[in-house]
Formats: sequence, C-alpha cells, structure tokens
Amino acid sequence: ESVFRGTADLDSLLGKDLGALRDIVINANPAHPPLSLLVLHALLCQRYQVLSSVHVHSSVSAVPPPLLSCLGPQHIDSYARQRFQLGFTLIWKDVSKLQMKFNTQSMCPIEGEASVARFLFRLLSAEPQDPVAATQMDCWIDTAVFQLAEGGSKERAAMLRSLNSALGRSPWLLGQEFSLADIVCACCVLRAGQTTSAAANIQRWLKSCQNLCHFDCVNPLLQ
Amino acid sequence: MTKENVQGAGEEEQQAQSKKALKKQQKEAEKAAKKAEKQAKLASEQQEAEEDDFAMDRYGICPMVQSQQKLDRALVRVQDLTPEKAEQQIWVRARIHTSRAKGKQCFLVLRHQQFTVQALLAVGDCASKQMVKFAANLTKESIIDVEAVVKKVEQKIESCSQQDVELHVERIFVISQSEARLPLQLEDAVRPEGEGDEEGRATVNQDTRLDNRVIDLRTTTSQSIFRLQSGVCQLFRDTLINKGFVEIQTPKIISAASEGGANVFTVSYFKTSAYLAQSPQLYKQMCICADFDKVFCVGPVFRAEDSNTHRHLTEFVGLDIEMAFNYHYHEVIDSITDTMVQIFKGLRDRFQTEIQTVNKQYPSEPFKFLEPTLRLEYKEAVAMLRAAGVEMGDEEDLSTPNEKLLGRLVKEKYDTDFYVLDKYPLAVRPFYTMPDPNNPKYSNSYDMFMRGEEILSGAQRVHDAQLLTERAMHHGIDLEKIKAYIDSFRYGAPPHAGGGIGLERVTMLYLGLHNVRQTSMFPRDPKRLTP
Repeated sequence: ESVFRGTADLDSLLGKDLGALRDIVINANPAHPPLSLLVLHALLCQRYQVLSSVHVHSSVSAVPPPLLSCLGPQHIDSYARQRFQLGFTLIWKDVSKLQMKFNTQSMCPIEGEASVARFLFRLLSAEPQDPVAATQMDCWIDTAVFQLAEGGSKERAAMLRSLNSALGRSPWLLGQEFSLADIVCACCVLRAGQTTSAAANIQRWLKSCQNLCHFDCVNPLLQ
Repeated sequence: MTKENVQGAGEEEQQAQSKKALKKQQKEAEKAAKKAEKQAKLASEQQEAEEDDFAMDRYGICPMVQSQQKLDRALVRVQDLTPEKAEQQIWVRARIHTSRAKGKQCFLVLRHQQFTVQALLAVGDCASKQMVKFAANLTKESIIDVEAVVKKVEQKIESCSQQDVELHVERIFVISQSEARLPLQLEDAVRPEGEGDEEGRATVNQDTRLDNRVIDLRTTTSQSIFRLQSGVCQLFRDTLINKGFVEIQTPKIISAASEGGANVFTVSYFKTSAYLAQSPQLYKQMCICADFDKVFCVGPVFRAEDSNTHRHLTEFVGLDIEMAFNYHYHEVIDSITDTMVQIFKGLRDRFQTEIQTVNKQYPSEPFKFLEPTLRLEYKEAVAMLRAAGVEMGDEEDLSTPNEKLLGRLVKEKYDTDFYVLDKYPLAVRPFYTMPDPNNPKYSNSYDMFMRGEEILSGAQRVHDAQLLTERAMHHGIDLEKIKAYIDSFRYGAPPHAGGGIGLERVTMLYLGLHNVRQTSMFPRDPKRLTP
C-alpha cells in the first residue's frame, strides 16, 4: 500500500513530454551507497512505471554484487524503453560527491545526496504544503547529513538526542505524517550502524520505518 | 625620366656587376683554399688512422648475414635493459636512433621497436679514437650489434624509454647500413601536433608519412598503435570463443552485392564479372541457417564509395558477428556490447604503455564506458537532438554532424563514449532488416557508437523467406540475383541478428585519433593504392 497519495502529473512537474524517456541519472560512489535514494526509488516505483538500471562506470574497477542488484530485479518490459514514464539510471562511478543529471540542456548537475533526495521526493508530490513544516523537513535533512553522516562523535550524539526527544512527542519527525525527513534521518542512523545502542524512541521509529517495505532494499547494503 | 638618367643607371649597373664578379672570385679562391685544407686534414687523419688502431677488431661492417654461421650469442632486447642487469656484459641488436659525437665521446640512442636506450662510447681501454669516429659517422636507422656493459645512471635519462641504465659500448658492428638521407626524420614524425609550429620545428604531414610508410611505422607512436590493434583483434577472438562462437572464413569474390549495388568493386571473372564483398553478411547468415548458431569472422571488406573523409577506406578489416537467439534480439545486442566492453577493459588493463605512448603525440581523454552498456532508442535520440535545437523528422536518418552532436549530448548526461542506439526507422535500413512488431515504421536494428562516431551497424535479420522476398521487392532488388540467399531460409531458419565492426575505426576512436589512415597499416582510399 502506498504511503503517498497525490495527484502528481509528470508533465506538470517536469515539463512537456518530448517523446523521450525522462531519465534521471545518478552518479554515486560505490564507497558511499546513497541509501535514502534507494528508498525513494522504491517509492517512485509504486507510483510510476519506472525503468531502473544499474551501470558501472569505467572509472571504478570492481563493485560488490549487492550494489549491482540494489534497484531490484529488472522489469519484465525493460527491453522497451518507451513503455516507461520515468527512467532511474544509477551509475557507480568514481565521484567525490553524489551527482544527479536530468535535463542536461536546462539544468546544471545537482550535487549531494540530500539535494537529490529532495528532487526525487517532489516527484511524489508529497512534500508538506505548510511552509513551517516544509522548513522543518529541510532542517532535519540538513542536520542528518552534516551531523550524523559527516560529523564527529559529539555532533552525532547531540543529533541522536534531539531525534530521540522529537520522536517522543510524535510518531514521525514532522508529526503524524511520514516524510522525507524520516527517510533521510533513518538512513543516516542505519548507516552509522548504531541501531542497537540507540535510544528507545529511535528504536521504535526505525522499526516503523522498516515496517514500510520501502526500506527493504537498504538491508542487503548494510551488511 | 631623361636619357641621361637612364645612362647613369646603366653605368651604375655595370659597376655593380663588376663588383659582384670580384666578390665571386674572392669567394671561389677562399673555397679552393678551404678544400685544399680539408684534403690535407683528411690525408693526415687517414695516415693517423693507418698508423695504429689497437681496437681494429672491435668495430666494423659485418659481411652480409647469409646464414654462414650460427653464433651462440644471446641478444638482449632493449626493453629488458633494466637496473637488474647492471654491470652485466651483454649483446644488443638495435637501430641507431640518433648519434652525437662530442670530442672523445660518442653518445648513441639505440632503438628497438618502441623502446630506446642510451649508449656511450668513449676513447679509452676498449675504444680507440678511430672507433669513436666510426660510431659517430654511422648513419641513422642502421642496424647494429653492440657488446656493452650495462651501467646504472645517477640521473634519469629523460629522452629514452630505459631511463635508469645506459650501455658502455665495447664492440660495435654494423649488420645493415642505412642510406644517409632519410625521406623523413623519426623525431619529426612523433612530434605532437602544434608543438612543431611553436618552436619552428618540422612536423611530417599525413601523405609524406603514408608515402614512406615503412619508416613511419617505426615511430614509437605507430608501433604502439598497431600493437594495440593486434590486441583488439585478439581480445575480440578470445571473448567470442569463450562465448562459444565459431570462427568462419567467407569468400571475398561474390556474385551479387549484399547491400545496394552502387558501392561495390567489379572485378573481371573469366568470361563474366564478379564483385568484391562489401561484408560477409550473406555468408554469415547462411552459416546460421546451417546450424552454426554463433559465428564470427575477421577479414577484408571492400567499399567502392568515392568518399575522401577521415573515416572512410576502400578496404578495411571487418570484425563480423552473427548469432541465433532465442526470443528477443536484445540477447544479441547484450552479447555484442559485452564483447566490446571486454575489449575496452582488456585494452585498459593490458595496453596502458601503448595508450600512453600514443597519447604523448596525440593527447586525448581516456575512453569511458558503462557496464552494462547504455542502450537508447532512436526516438529518444531524436528528442534529445530536438531539445538541443536540431530540426529533424521522426524517420530521418542521422546525419554525421547530428551523430556527433548526439554523442556529445549522451556523454554530457551519461559520461560514456560508447552506447547503443536501438530501433532505427525501417526506411533507412537494408532490405533484410526485421520490422518492429509494434510499429511498422521502425525496425529491430541498432548502431553502436564510439566517441560519437558509428562503429557498428546491425539488426535482427528477416529469417522468413516470404517476408524477405517482400522486403527485397519493396527495395527494388532483382530477385534472381539473390535467389540462393533467399532459398537458404526455406528449410527452417532460426531467428538471428548480428553486426559488423571496422577494426581501424575501433582503434582510431578508442585512442581518440582523428584519421582512420593512422590505424590502417597500408591504407587504401580512392586516391591511394601504394605502398
């Protein structure tokens, strides 16, 4: 069952259909698999006909097998690209920063997992309409990336404390609604590998996240 | 002007002439004096030479090697001259790349294939004055045998490939002498484009190179190009044999043109005429009908197109693949693209030295690719081109500039120099191409591109005799002439697809070179039949 129900139309979100597959290209370094984007990919697949493919760029020599199958099995119609609404092309490449390329004629490449996650989330047209909630969501995403994923042990501990207290007040980070804030934060916690030692609220919240089956694709990459 | 003036001018001219004559005489006298001096010097030198040369038997010109004796002498290859061989006494056979005499010393650069080493000859215990002089006067490109001691050097020798050692020559014999004047200098032929202009040095143009191909092929760049090309062939064979393919040989003298009659060479064949094969197309398909399942062939292909471009030859080496598949022709695309990727990987891993040597003269970005290979559909390509401002029809063929632009667009988005374009419009493909079941305007055909240029053209073929006849008639082909071909499909023919690659183009585009003649050893084009 889908979590997000909107009435998004790709034409209105991405501009006029030119008769070609709208292919989202993501260049990611195999040393840092973008877990949150894999969750978003699963959500996009529920909503659209998505042609998913994984490639290895010649700049990296070997990639572990779980990374090659991280977008799940190939769609049975994958031989006909025209039958899909959206393309999701993940390229394992030697890049210093994760990068998304979409409409190369009019958009510059987008850098950073968080920025790409926001773009993909918008395609689900599920972002909060209320400016305060939207800003809160952005805020959680930023702190997750800068303090949890890239920060030192002190910063990480502080972030976990604030996560725990926020989750004591409501089931999800923004209240009653599951959002991108939950996806990115959960992926960062899972990534840091502190799930068993985490505080009770965080543990409960991670369970709820994993109960939504979009997180299934992340598990093989955590071992 | 007055008469006087004219006269005056005439006198002046006379005076000037007499002055000139005087000068001329003086110069001649000087010349004669110099000549006499030279002769005297030469005579005295000769005398000196005859006087005493203790190293007489350590140098000279060998009698022609006519297999008179079988010497038990190991010749070390220049590329094996490394610091591990230091202090060893060895024999080397190499060419004289350059020689430079400096007083009592003579520096030689010895070359074997793409490897060079510095050799030093100095007057001393082993070498006499005469011997050093002999070495200094050897002509460039002569082949010599040298006995020498390998010595480590303190400072790297930047100009040679063997930078850590030099040879101290003790004996030097000429095996084959080169004529003094070379039609082109090897240093000029390896100079990077552009660099020559800045320093006012010469570079050699393409035609001079090709006219003197044997010498041009000796350059480090050419040596590397053709060693890498041999690698392409070997990787192609190895990969396909591993996939269970069978190598076949097909006739090159054929009775009918396989793809359109305009661009074939006609040869007289006893009382009738025949054609030179444009591709082994029909024969590889017949092999499929004869249950060979997966075949490939490497051999010459002829095109009588009068096009003088950077990428067309009239004879080139075709690498052709044909394969029966189960249910979808993408099985074949996957097999071909995987073969290409194996070739690219093999070159990247095994031919790095060669790639770098070529890059020194012709700098280019390393070849990038994705695994599995990116596959786009024709409609997508048209949409990408339209988004970039190109106006073209849905079923219009890609022009060469559009092909290149598309290559740039694909590289920008996917960062790959190699991709497949699938589902071409049926109208622009040969008669034996299978139509697309979902849209009769399109076909099950594909092209593959390297650096924005087409290297392979392929398709699922029609394996049904009736449909094949229809398609041939639609293209206005004389059914009588292709009867044998159509008949091969009457007795049970498996669905199959394939494609053909040009070896020279693949090498050219992999290395990022600009002219296919650089990767053809003895190129043939409308204007060149020799060497």
